[in-house]
Amino acid sequence: MTYAVRTSGPASPMLFERVPPLWWAIALVLIAMPLFASNFVLFQIFGWTFILGMIGLSLMFLAGYGGMVSLIQMTVAALAGYMVAILGTSGVPAISLGWPWWLHIPVAILVAALFGTLVGALAVRTEGIYTIMITLAIASAFFYFTRQNYGLFNGYTGFNNVLPPQLFGIDWRQPAPFYYLTLACATLAYAAVVYVARSPFGLALQGVRDNPRRMGALGFSVTAHRILAYTFASVIAAFGGILLVWQSAQVSPGTAGIPQVIDILVIAVVGGIKRPVGPFIGALIYVLLRVFSPDVLLAVGLSGERFKLLIGFGFLVIVFFSPDGVLGLWEKFKARRAQSRDPLRGDRP
Amino acid sequence: MTLADMPSATSRTAAERLGSVSSGNALELRGVTKLFGALAAISDVTLTVRPGERRAGLGTNGAGKTTLFNCGTGDFLPTTGTIRLFGEDVTSFPAHERIRRGLRRTYQISLLFGGLSVADNVYLACRGVSRGRFSLLRPRVNDVLVTRAAELIEAVHLTPARDTLVANLSYGQQRQLEIALALAGAPRFILFDEPAAGLSPTERSELVSILTNLPGHIGFIIIEHDMDVALRVAESVTMMHNGRIFKEGTPQEIENDAEVQELYLGGGSHG
Amino acid sequence: MQSLYKRHPVWSVILLVLIAGFLWLIFAPWPPGLEQVMGRKRIFLNAILSGITLGALYFLVASGFTLVFGLMRNVNLAHGSLYLLGGYIGYEVANTTGYWLLAFPVVFILVGALGLLLQHQVFRRMEGEELRQTLVTIGISVVLADIMLWIWGGQSYQVLSPDWLSGPMTLPLISSLRSNGEAVYLTYPQVRIVILCVAILIGLAMWLVLNRSKLGMLIRAGVDDRDMLAASGVRIQVVFLGVFAFGAGMAGMAGIIGGTFQSLSPGEDTRFLLASLVVVIVGGMGSIPGAALGAVIIGLAEQIGIVYAPTYSVVFTFLIMAVVLAFRPQGLLGAGR
Repeated sequence: MTYAVRTSGPASPMLFERVPPLWWAIALVLIAMPLFASNFVLFQIFGWTFILGMIGLSLMFLAGYGGMVSLIQMTVAALAGYMVAILGTSGVPAISLGWPWWLHIPVAILVAALFGTLVGALAVRTEGIYTIMITLAIASAFFYFTRQNYGLFNGYTGFNNVLPPQLFGIDWRQPAPFYYLTLACATLAYAAVVYVARSPFGLALQGVRDNPRRMGALGFSVTAHRILAYTFASVIAAFGGILLVWQSAQVSPGTAGIPQVIDILVIAVVGGIKRPVGPFIGALIYVLLRVFSPDVLLAVGLSGERFKLLIGFGFLVIVFFSPDGVLGLWEKFKARRAQSRDPLRGDRP
Repeated sequence: MTLADMPSATSRTAAERLGSVSSGNALELRGVTKLFGALAAISDVTLTVRPGERRAGLGTNGAGKTTLFNCGTGDFLPTTGTIRLFGEDVTSFPAHERIRRGLRRTYQISLLFGGLSVADNVYLACRGVSRGRFSLLRPRVNDVLVTRAAELIEAVHLTPARDTLVANLSYGQQRQLEIALALAGAPRFILFDEPAAGLSPTERSELVSILTNLPGHIGFIIIEHDMDVALRVAESVTMMHNGRIFKEGTPQEIENDAEVQELYLGGGSHG
Repeated sequence: MQSLYKRHPVWSVILLVLIAGFLWLIFAPWPPGLEQVMGRKRIFLNAILSGITLGALYFLVASGFTLVFGLMRNVNLAHGSLYLLGGYIGYEVANTTGYWLLAFPVVFILVGALGLLLQHQVFRRMEGEELRQTLVTIGISVVLADIMLWIWGGQSYQVLSPDWLSGPMTLPLISSLRSNGEAVYLTYPQVRIVILCVAILIGLAMWLVLNRSKLGMLIRAGVDDRDMLAASGVRIQVVFLGVFAFGAGMAGMAGIIGGTFQSLSPGEDTRFLLASLVVVIVGGMGSIPGAALGAVIIGLAEQIGIVYAPTYSVVFTFLIMAVVLAFRPQGLLGAGR
């Protein structure tokens, strides 16, 4: 049980000792991955996992810590991607402004965060159950608008050739560099969420989740906290969105279509929205399903296009049997193992 | 340490000075009515409490006591009437604005943060009335608020349970935590809503000692069904009936009033 | 109405003036100067009528959605899928039997039965867990959408309106004046006017049932306080089953109508789910009159937008929704907070 702050007393355990060994093993494997994994695995599987995991993390922050299930995260991500295409360089020189990377990337994140904050301002003054509806409606409006608008968003086609800048002489879109880039961003996002969760802001947000009436009676402005939570989550989603657009080198209305918006929810819920590692687990499962299920389906005699059905069914099964997702299953498994210890002698049968 | 020693930095002495010198009342309700559709939960309630005054709010169930509190904290706006807190008109203020001006409240059914520990709950209470609510930085080891939270937990005898999840506390412990939350920061006036509900006799005497030992500048209104507790800690009594103020006076006057006895005590003096 | 006037006298007067102006625009012949500014009156009238008839369709879809949410606090995000499923089934029935009208009862029963099944087997087990129910509806919508794609493919289907309904009809609205002063009256597709009338009738019927019958009283009581209703001995689960099945059946029948007015294809489920969401956000949750008002507003906004500012019609709808959320989050006719 960690405290809001370490109490004074005998030397508190160092970071090295506090993190369980499993995590160190995973970290080592992840860092050494390019040595033994193929380019496809690095770029398509892990790169995509980290990106979707980040966007899912943004949803997890709002839902798990704030009690607000928001479907606007993918839209915020796509908006950041669109801004990078519009303000930077792309295959549509008529619209792209060609600003340098140190200008267009921060501005893109700012615009996306602003948008997320505005959506939050509209969504938080109603009961929790409306948040899904309102954010879904706004996300849909964004999709239809980008599809119709040719002046700024280039309509149906969107932007292609949206590439990361060649910093330090490295082509960041090559598999190994891109892998490390997404790994670094995902780790940073994860660490930020874990850290902020125990900061005054994060604790207050959890208080708002558990008992908004009491938070008001303790002097907190519940509305302000909720809206700022959207801001924080939107920054994370914006980073994810820019990486996503770099990965596919294009952005179009379909980047934030309703299926994609729903997929982020699926990822977060399947992984588990109670802990920050959940969305990454969910993202990995999703990516593996997307990449390999067409083959599985063909083997069974169905068309490879039926992966949506598989994902939908999988999602239904999880929500039915383990609403806390894979993490929830893991918790239950651990609890049962703990229970199966012999009460007298403490060892397992 | 006792509650009287509770350090709350300069803000307490300021509050003390304010409380004793200000010519205004701590809490003042004028003509407050709250309608729920056609039902008048409280009608035309006019109530004044001086700073530092200890008042008991009595009445049968449905008399409107909790509605009065809810209007006072700002859970809902009164249909008509004004509410003044230390001279300031707070009628349209949301709850958090009133709390930041020194009002506090406990609830009949504990409203706590089930997913957080006791320490976190009290820390949040301390944080709520000070700056830095949106801080993204974790508090340092010697953070002032963390220390103060620890002292508060000590004052309500919950230190052994400081890291327990609130959901795992016993009922009595939750009620103690409820009191601790109300004492965070520099409270100037507290609304206690049936704090003794469900407590054992020992816990009750502990509650009475906590209430009587509160610093003198902190006034409060206590709603209680347990007349023993209420009349021991209060210096004045307001009785409500059917949403209106029925009688006001000292504890002795109320206890011996014939109308009150008939209505509330069921005839004869309370043993 | 009176309370609205009392609380906001200035706004009420402005609203009345706007409505009066609007009615004049519709019924009076336009002076030549006005036509230069606003384009031809015929186009304006067409946009208005299309907006209202589209609003009728939106109302039929959204009313089931708002009832289910109002009573059971279940945000059924599979509502659009039920719409599309009803449309496809209706197409098959109308196509094979040749009777357009027959599609309605068949679809109502089939889609209603699906709704019954869902409520009984799935949602009842998650009583009180609103978020979980909503997540399940999302899963169901994904599964249904793919199954429909599998069976009916990606092309567009059009439900042909029956002969006795096709063709134009003349409305008592003046679209222009001939040089000799004689009025030219507007012609408009008959089927759309008929559906508008049917929607109004259904709306009135629902309102009557909700406000004048015992069943309606039960439902309204349940919307106000579900636990109380259950505690008073009413078989609340039966009421839930009925309401959900009815809402699903309505969505299905609306699908037939949408397939007749417009067309059916993958993506229509999302479009009508979105329309339902916006309509109830604007009109107010759990309110049938709210759904009607919201539907008309959104239908008009969409059609007027398409005619006069094509690239920004989505923005209009979204702006209306944002304004309502900003100033009256519970919806125009939603229960006050």
